[in-house]
Amino acid sequence: MLVKNIIRTLRAERGWSQAALADQLGVSRQSVNAIETGKYDPSLPLAFAIARLFEKSIEEIFDDETEAQLAAQ
Amino acid sequence: MTQQTFKSAKRRYHRVFWPLMIVYALVVIGGSFGLKQLDPEPQWLQALLALACTAPVIGTLLVMMRYAEETDEYTRMVQLRGFAWGGILTVNAIFTVGFLQLFHVIDKIEIFWFGPLFFIAYGLSTFVIGGRQCS
Repeated sequence: MLVKNIIRTLRAERGWSQAALADQLGVSRQSVNAIETGKYDPSLPLAFAIARLFEKSIEEIFDDETEAQLAAQ
Repeated sequence: MTQQTFKSAKRRYHRVFWPLMIVYALVVIGGSFGLKQLDPEPQWLQALLALACTAPVIGTLLVMMRYAEETDEYTRMVQLRGFAWGGILTVNAIFTVGFLQLFHVIDKIEIFWFGPLFFIAYGLSTFVIGGRQCS
């Protein structure tokens, strides 16, 4: 299952680099890059930490494609 | 998840890893050079040096495992997959070389070389899976 996200957009809006976001989340820059490019889906605690940091709900940031496809059918 | 998980885990890893590598190099180089000065080489000293060389290697493996446990979740996944691929490639090599020896296709190969093979396979695997920062 693929989960799309808008982290890159949110990060760009705030003018943060991947390293700056990684520092705030306590993860590696590589982790942020892997999540942004869809190579890696974060765990629930990390998804909550990302949502808290951007002051949004998880659903606003992460989009479950499977659910979107099912809804469209 | 705590703040700075990745950085503090990496710091702890480097703080132990590099001293272990220095000890390893000193024991291997110093030990083999020192033994050559003795004729005949005492067997108890040979055994002691062999075990002294093994200790930092075991320590390194434990530190690598601790790093995998303490670091962030993505790096942990990369590290554990690196361990898995390193193990798979090494065990495959052991079986292949072992059967080739059993059927007298090749001569004896020192079992020692499978150790470095694991570290090379692990390093390459983490590099391919996660990129330079995770290895």
